[in-house]
Amino acid sequence: MKSTLQKITMALPAALLMVSVSAPAANAEIKASYLYSLSDFYGLVPYSWTRVVIDNWHAETYVLFQNNVKVFNGNGMEVYEFGDDIDVGIIYDVAIDEKTNIFLLTNNKQKYSIVRCNYRGEPKETIEIKGLPDELKGFIPFRMVYRKGNFYLASLSHMQIAVVDRNGNCLASYDIKPMLELSEEEKKKGSEMDMVGFNVDNDGNMLFTIPAIFKVFRLTPDRKLSSFGQPGSIPGKFGIVSGVAEDNRGNYLVVDKLKSVVMVFDKDYTFITEFGHRGVNPDNFIVPDEVAIDKGDKIYVTQTRNRGVSVFRLAYE
Amino acid sequence: MPRPGITRIKTVLFTVAIAKIFMLLSSGESFAFHSGGVAECMGCHNIHDAKSASALLAGTDISSTCLDCHGESGAGGYHIATPDADMPAGTPPGNMTPGGDFGWLKKAYTYSPRTGTTTVEPGERHGHNIVAVDFGYTADSTNTTAPGGDMDATKLACNSCHDNHGKLRRMGSDAAPTFGVTGAPIIASGSYGNSPAPAAGQAVGAYRLLRGPGSTAGSGGKTFTAVFNAAVPATYNRSEATTPTRVAYGYGISEWCATCHPDMHTATSSKMTHPVNQGLSSAEVDNYSKYKGSGIMTGSAATSYDSLVPFQTDNTRNYTTLKSLAVNDGSKATGPATSDRVMCLSCHRAHATGWPHMTRWNNDGELIAVDGVWPGTDSPSSIASQAKYAQGRTVTETTVAYNGATMHYASYQRSLCNKCHAKD
Repeated sequence: MKSTLQKITMALPAALLMVSVSAPAANAEIKASYLYSLSDFYGLVPYSWTRVVIDNWHAETYVLFQNNVKVFNGNGMEVYEFGDDIDVGIIYDVAIDEKTNIFLLTNNKQKYSIVRCNYRGEPKETIEIKGLPDELKGFIPFRMVYRKGNFYLASLSHMQIAVVDRNGNCLASYDIKPMLELSEEEKKKGSEMDMVGFNVDNDGNMLFTIPAIFKVFRLTPDRKLSSFGQPGSIPGKFGIVSGVAEDNRGNYLVVDKLKSVVMVFDKDYTFITEFGHRGVNPDNFIVPDEVAIDKGDKIYVTQTRNRGVSVFRLAYE
Repeated sequence: MPRPGITRIKTVLFTVAIAKIFMLLSSGESFAFHSGGVAECMGCHNIHDAKSASALLAGTDISSTCLDCHGESGAGGYHIATPDADMPAGTPPGNMTPGGDFGWLKKAYTYSPRTGTTTVEPGERHGHNIVAVDFGYTADSTNTTAPGGDMDATKLACNSCHDNHGKLRRMGSDAAPTFGVTGAPIIASGSYGNSPAPAAGQAVGAYRLLRGPGSTAGSGGKTFTAVFNAAVPATYNRSEATTPTRVAYGYGISEWCATCHPDMHTATSSKMTHPVNQGLSSAEVDNYSKYKGSGIMTGSAATSYDSLVPFQTDNTRNYTTLKSLAVNDGSKATGPATSDRVMCLSCHRAHATGWPHMTRWNNDGELIAVDGVWPGTDSPSSIASQAKYAQGRTVTETTVAYNGATMHYASYQRSLCNKCHAKD
């Protein structure tokens, strides 16, 4: 066991450095500073492309990797883990509510459900999904986001979304593919464009990316679909888009795996800035994939090559 | 929130992982990003971003660039390498494409087939060890050159076989195609059963953007002279629990593989090796047609096709024929004729499999199924769970290694070599 001083030193290295990494565009008012990477007592947890979920009520971060959920405190240090030792099947995703319930999106014996766990990760209740419409026949959710009492479930490959309440009752559903208005040429090709990133903003708008067409989409609850994005290498244009999230001021964070950056757009889809860039320094990325943000403006970015989850703080000027 | 200590013993293998695999694979049509040829430049190249250490390619290396998209999480049509995050112990890779999931390269198994012995099966034995640093794929440490050839294993990359720019194209009619790296614009993928027939002045892409005559050499420096003629159903990344995914293979498959593995091909090797690109004998055709499992020879030609033991259709270049056979609904189940041929892919998959030597079935055991089921460490069968049968794999892993196929052979089933040879 390392000394407390050593632990603090490992947990907060970048708090001492606070390197500003952004190169803001002309109108940029946002800067991102690298803080640290999620760590345990032995150093950085070497995740590659993992799922990261924020518990804003308790200032904790949940990371799902290989059916194991690790919980990190507000300083990015691991404090708990569970998952391998409970019999709930395969865990696809995690969500946390304001009452410290932990919800797991699981697939057990070829049946998916939401499992409510207590604060120790012990299963307490299985919530079956009910009332899905015919258009979601065969619906297999792979992502789950909790917002204001409801769960947003997304099938990435089918491009379908279902909103269910705490009892699993379907409140609304969205079959995205017919809404995309594919060109005749795309239809003839039998093309499939799967969603990669999926999230829900603070107004209940559903966000997702489709990298094949270089776009980020926002779907309002009343089914109004809008999008933005153009292919290109210059700041603000897209290579391979992936994760997406809304910050605390209504801006959208978009991960680009090709450019290895996180881009920031305002609510009107106007590009503000981007940061990261490919490289091996702590404030660089190697193929970032997902992004999450907490209420303290810290953003969490997953990467490949065992670079774990990097944490930055956004500063608004 | 108060929490107990962080240490917990991890003991549970996942006995239900098959659910994830099967349920995620209910879709997966062809993808239009490449559209048979070169994709949008900005999808792979970072042209004008001087801030990145690598200003051109997305990944550290070529294969890493490919896996940025093709290695994404969640099984989908174009995904061919399950991320580490989705493959805990006991859970197989998620994709069930005809070529196989590169994730098998990371699935190592250790087991004791009998008291006092331990077998260690490295993951690298399961397939083509592409080098993709960003994703943890490294060069084959045992076969430092291509088996039966001399290509440097450290050079093996996706683009050793696939032309990342997809220049090879198929022109002319489906019935009498011609190939070239120029000649007409590529209008769509030519890989699928529903791919369009190119009109005059048009072309479709070569199967799976594979290299061929006129293509430049990719990583590893090999120049292909054969065309890989084939067609696949548009939905191909799927469980074969109910119906097989039939890839229609045509002329040139084994010659194409022999580009890097010449000593594995009877036409280019003086060594003793299993024949490839040779017509099946009447006895082998008869065996294939009648074989339903070890000791069970009651099958008929009309229903004998087995996607675990596919064959090359005649020596055809006729894409009308190939496209008609490329189905996933079981409607083309007729077995081979003597004009059909054995090929490399009769026994192997192109990317990786759940078995050593990247074979389609387990050749490292006496029996591939026992007590009427696929074996596995967590099998309820006291026989099927024995280490010498399970070989360190869960039932889910074994099942997915057979692309989800229901165990439909004999209750005690021996090697599928017997599909043609019926020695059991």
